[in-house]
Amino acid sequence: MVKITVNLAVIYIIGGLILAYVYSKASPIIFQKAKEEKEAALKTMMPEADFIEKAGDWEPHHKHAEYFIAKKCLEEKTVTRKDDQTGEISEVTVCIKDEGIGYVVEGFGKGYSSYINLYVSVDNNFMVKKVNILSHKETPGLGDEILKDSFLSQFAGKHVDNLVVIKGETEDKIEAITGATISSRAVAEDGTREGVKMLIEKLSGEAEK
Amino acid sequence: MSALNRSNWEIFKNGIFGENTIFRMAISLCPSIAVTGSLRDGTLMGVAVVFVQVMVNVTISLIRNFIHPKIRIPIFMLIIAGYVSIIDMAMAAFFRDTYKIIGLYIQLIVAFASIFARAEVFASKNKLTPSFIDGLGMGTGFLLAMIIISFFRELLGRGSLWGFPIVDGKPLLLMILPAGGFFAVGLLMAFFNWIDMKYFGGKGASGV
Repeated sequence: MVKITVNLAVIYIIGGLILAYVYSKASPIIFQKAKEEKEAALKTMMPEADFIEKAGDWEPHHKHAEYFIAKKCLEEKTVTRKDDQTGEISEVTVCIKDEGIGYVVEGFGKGYSSYINLYVSVDNNFMVKKVNILSHKETPGLGDEILKDSFLSQFAGKHVDNLVVIKGETEDKIEAITGATISSRAVAEDGTREGVKMLIEKLSGEAEK
Repeated sequence: MSALNRSNWEIFKNGIFGENTIFRMAISLCPSIAVTGSLRDGTLMGVAVVFVQVMVNVTISLIRNFIHPKIRIPIFMLIIAGYVSIIDMAMAAFFRDTYKIIGLYIQLIVAFASIFARAEVFASKNKLTPSFIDGLGMGTGFLLAMIIISFFRELLGRGSLWGFPIVDGKPLLLMILPAGGFFAVGLLMAFFNWIDMKYFGGKGASGV
């Protein structure tokens, strides 16, 4: 009896140590790469914007998410700047007048087997411009069809009221992926629509003030 | 039953024909239906399984003398889940582009009956080399079965192969739905049994 217990304990401790070692090596790299990919994805959400600034935080499904304002530079000015440490004088172009052209919001949608992490970009009238899936763990072959252009291109130009999933063909709403209605709903309704709604609540209120 | 009097080729062949995971043993049917909607999905899943099957067989064969028979099941579970976790983490860190394509399949392997079955039936009773060959054969048999099933399902259900359109016209949607998976696996299983009975004098999967 003792022999069995020791045998099991030793093998499980060895297994646990190996896993802990691999995790300690791999997880900082995974975290760093995921962060870089997110930053790169943010830029593609608004290609016409000159810069995208963080505008605030929100918590869909108790997860931390951010939203951003995309700005376009209207007037540039070249100024000379002196570096405090080296004393070198250099010319830098700074933006003195900019204009907000839209927003990008990060959202989470509760899918079939995972939370789908996504970015949504909207214009100043809160019409959807683009949806981009950052990460998900939906069923391969069915749920992962949400990554396809034929599904995601439906979102362009949609008003928040039209972000509704319909089974079958539809003109102005979002057509569900066959066999993956839950994943489609998670992207369109839980992720995108909630994100845009939050933006409208927070930002149109501020504009009126 | 001993592997001593069987050649390596026979062990390898056994995984592909004699005890083919899906068509003959009828285990691990879940992935054969869930991940065979397209040829790419099926093939990548198969490749991932070959890898894990070989690694698990080799490891269990190496430590088989240290495992008390009464607690072999939890130890097999640890080895399988451990390998899957390590591969998952290592790929997410170092092969991100590949991970984005097959990352979803790797985690499914934890619950694979076929890998567990080979650990129990073969690797825990045999030496390193036969266990390695058995893992390779079983994995290849599974890979081939996945390729055959997903080939027909994608061709009939989507009119394409590996994502490239092949046939014009409205495809048979049923084939890519889960129900179509049962039809495809069932019909192919019947076909393989028929070949086996007609040409090799076997008894078919149910007669094993």
